[in-house]
Amino acid sequence: MKRSGHVALAILGAAAFGLAGCQETATDAASFPDLDSCLKAATQDGWFTADDCRTTFAEAELLHDETAPRYDSAALCEEQHGEGNCQPDASAGPAGGGGGSIFMPLMMGYLLGSALSGGRPVAQPVFGRAGGGYSTPAGTGISRLGASGKVPTEAFAKAPVTKGQPAMTRATVAQRGGFGTTGAGRSTSTGG
Amino acid sequence: MELLKLPERPNWRDRARDLGFNFADMYGEPYWDEGHVWRFTMGQIEGCIEDPCTELHALCREAVGRIIGSEALMVRMGLPRAQWDFIADSWARAEPELYGRFDLAFDGTGPAKLLEYNADTPTSLYESSAFQWLWLEDQIKAGVLPEAADQFNGIHEALVERFAAICAPGQDLHFAAMKDSPEDYGTVETLGWAAREAGLGAHYTDLQSIGLTADGQFADSEDRVIGALFKLYPWEDLFADDFAQYLASSGCRFIEPPWKALLSNKAILPMLWQMFPDHPNLLPAYFVGEEGAGLEHGHVEKPIFSREGAGIRIVQNGAVIEASDVADYDAHPRIRQAYHPLPQFEGWRPVLGAWMVGEACVGLGVRSDRSRITQNLSRFQPHVILD
Repeated sequence: MKRSGHVALAILGAAAFGLAGCQETATDAASFPDLDSCLKAATQDGWFTADDCRTTFAEAELLHDETAPRYDSAALCEEQHGEGNCQPDASAGPAGGGGGSIFMPLMMGYLLGSALSGGRPVAQPVFGRAGGGYSTPAGTGISRLGASGKVPTEAFAKAPVTKGQPAMTRATVAQRGGFGTTGAGRSTSTGG
Repeated sequence: MELLKLPERPNWRDRARDLGFNFADMYGEPYWDEGHVWRFTMGQIEGCIEDPCTELHALCREAVGRIIGSEALMVRMGLPRAQWDFIADSWARAEPELYGRFDLAFDGTGPAKLLEYNADTPTSLYESSAFQWLWLEDQIKAGVLPEAADQFNGIHEALVERFAAICAPGQDLHFAAMKDSPEDYGTVETLGWAAREAGLGAHYTDLQSIGLTADGQFADSEDRVIGALFKLYPWEDLFADDFAQYLASSGCRFIEPPWKALLSNKAILPMLWQMFPDHPNLLPAYFVGEEGAGLEHGHVEKPIFSREGAGIRIVQNGAVIEASDVADYDAHPRIRQAYHPLPQFEGWRPVLGAWMVGEACVGLGVRSDRSRITQNLSRFQPHVILD
């Protein structure tokens, strides 16, 4: 056959990219405070194995280092993530140009999700939220660690990298509108 | 190859609306036209379209390598010198291409002739890969077409595979198109679905909303840094925009890669003809002022940058026999290509759009027009393979 077995058919409009993952697919997920509790819950025939626990825990640690929010004071960090839940950012040494230290929340567990399309499970780190509960870097909230259930696959998309960036979760935009002016002057579609 | 007249699905307008295919009618004219259907044999598809296009893309890659290695040739491409290193670096790093569309003239017999290569910002992807596919499935179910009917349309699956191959697992990819163009948006969202299916994070931003951070990176409408950007916006236009000076230093990865600016450029046509003269799928082509053999029966003059047939003049016996009325591109240098009239089937002149994903030809979409120049008022007519 010269044609695809299936295709994605719907155009959803401007909001589609943000929503498509949530609307379309929820995936099995489970959260754990540490590697040991994941290993205890793993089964050979379940959707995650002990090996998956280990590899995804390592991934979550890496993602935490890369994408956890950064703050320029311990007080601000604790305000967001709860008292005693923050640590200095080890990667931002005192010689790091900017002067003051950078603080980030402690990784307090991880969220494991079953594979999106037949691959192996994926994970995101979680840290404390002021006022209770936990959150991933991209903002998926979890009420308690050790729970399992369905989570939108979007929850496992990688959050923007904060490591090495100035101490805030988003970049400071200096100017906009520098793209599009050349094409906008034309009367036809930009594509061909 | 023949033009069939088939009954339309009674509910196709509802289906189009439900699926968000809101450009099935454009500018008050029908664009999706399933009453006319192009029939090909498997031999025509594989021998005359699929294999030649995969080969043409390989020739194009060879030409890119040659042009990038020669300052004299780079000058001919009409791109700003300040961007040459950016273009050459992307080629040296072997940044992979995602997709493209060859536009071909073909009448079912002789070799298909390359009219031009939309290698950077091809549209009509949604109707080619999705709505055309659905049409075939529906018409087989309805008994209008036999079970054995097929279509050259592995576009969606090829895109999923390609995204997985050229991006890291879970990588975030931004998709940008010009605001308020439903046609462009349809193409971008079709790609976004494929990226998601490949396990990537897909985010949309209007091209005009992209910002520049204090660090010189690009950021989306929500201030998130853009690490990799698919832009449905021509390279030559990006090069002319205010942010052009930040392209190379932004650290952003672009899809299509910058070297595609050399292929989505009609200056590639004389380059190809010079490198591969008399290739059966190429038409004689020259820069204006350097004309050679093969233009005796008339020529088509095109600006090196233009989209949707804009700025094209057809000249026979020294007289302009047809010209498009969109003059937006008239400032660009021009090339002349031998005039190869499109075949006519009951007044319809089809242009075959052969879809490339990566380095392989994976599908077909046919747009037809009643005039000699295919513009953005042409109709998309589905195709079927029936031996």
